[in-house]
Amino acid sequence: MNDQNPVPPQIPPQIPPSLQGSRSPGDDPYERVAIPNVFAAIESILRQPRRLMFQLRQPGAGKLIAAMVFVSIVCSLIYGVLAGTFSGGTQLWAAPVKITLGLMISAAICLPSLYIFTCLSGSQARLLEVCGLLAGLLMLMTMLLIGFAPVVWIFSQSTESIAWMGALHLIFWIIATFFGLRFLQTGFSHSNARSLAGFKTWVIIFLLVAVQMTTALRPILGTSENFLPREKKFFLTHWGDCMTVTNSLSK
Amino acid sequence: MHAQSAKLKPHPAEIATLLRGETKTISAWSECWSVQRFALHVGVIILGAGFYGGAMGWWRDPQQAFYVAVKFPLIILLTTAGNALINAMLAPLLGLNIPFRQSCSAILMSFTAAAAILGAFSPVMAFMIWNAPPMSPQAVSGPAYSLIKLTHVGVIAFAGATGNARLFQLLARMGGSRAIALRVLFVWLAGNLFLGSQLSWILRPFIGSPTLPVEFFRAAALHGNFYENVFRSFLQIFQAD
Repeated sequence: MNDQNPVPPQIPPQIPPSLQGSRSPGDDPYERVAIPNVFAAIESILRQPRRLMFQLRQPGAGKLIAAMVFVSIVCSLIYGVLAGTFSGGTQLWAAPVKITLGLMISAAICLPSLYIFTCLSGSQARLLEVCGLLAGLLMLMTMLLIGFAPVVWIFSQSTESIAWMGALHLIFWIIATFFGLRFLQTGFSHSNARSLAGFKTWVIIFLLVAVQMTTALRPILGTSENFLPREKKFFLTHWGDCMTVTNSLSK
Repeated sequence: MHAQSAKLKPHPAEIATLLRGETKTISAWSECWSVQRFALHVGVIILGAGFYGGAMGWWRDPQQAFYVAVKFPLIILLTTAGNALINAMLAPLLGLNIPFRQSCSAILMSFTAAAAILGAFSPVMAFMIWNAPPMSPQAVSGPAYSLIKLTHVGVIAFAGATGNARLFQLLARMGGSRAIALRVLFVWLAGNLFLGSQLSWILRPFIGSPTLPVEFFRAAALHGNFYENVFRSFLQIFQAD
């Protein structure tokens, strides 16, 4: 007898596609080892980033995030002092303060949009984890900047061109940010996000905010009577002005 | 076991192992830090690059030879030290998970191989300089100067290429992948060239000029940088048209 209403074959529930690979943070036993201090956090972000990502999901991740923010502040202050040696004088304290403040304010401005894009991408990451990933971005970025510090110092002692030094700092910042964003993207991918479109949009926003911050807090390399500028400018206009001044001086 | 520990013991003859590119042994050296080996490699850099620098500066003046003999190894050592931190940070980020000491040791060994080659070529260069006419404005505008300059470029390029080839082999063994090794080598090389060029600019002159005094630094050593100068040269070419 033929069955007129056959039972449909059972189809297993579809798992929404995510961007993460076959292994997720914590799969390996060494990734489950707690990060007890700042030095272990520095070591982890360079050599075992997945260990850091796993620890950011554990209870008590707040201490780890605070440690990463602390490292970022210290590293950006050191890098700022080296940037300030180009002009010397008041810039020795103004440049580190501005670089550190600029970095932290940029991160704070962009944190809400990062969380929104994370949620829109289907990610399961909590706000604290997103904060942790952003702190990781800042820590890795500023640590790499410290790595470039000897080169920055040598060049700051041998040139008088603000445009040249600005370009050098920008190149180092781009390299450092590339690796920082790569860490953030890996963390983002491991949080069950279905798409990277939101993340990529956020990256553009973050880059624009950070670059504009250097103009809003100018001068960082040069000198001025005022701590902050009186005139509002878009960063492209400011860079154009710097190039014009440099060209006229060289002529 | 005894043979293994003997292999790890620093000895001046191990420079030959470095030049042959015996990666198994060299990799073992880089894994176990030894102050004696570090001193040996630094010593080879000072002697090898120093002798070559001496031969380079000798054409201008014996005093210039002494200055360049000091400056040449200094550039290598300062470049290694200046980029040590960033190179050690970039290696794990590019997929080669090695500790700070191992990355420094790998770079130092590649410079050691290059310096040993330079040192070996220094008698040849000295002989060439001995046969060249005395340095004068006429000699500088003649073929002798061009030949000496091109020979220096050839020898330094050969030493640098060999040092980097050995470094690549070592990195490939450490990382287990040629792709990772190539990536790390490229980034390290870019960083070292960037800083090394500027240090060479600051520490100029090397061959010297017959119209300028013999000096360790030029008076304008810290005015401007190598890349600004290259950029200005390009501008001058286009403005001349």
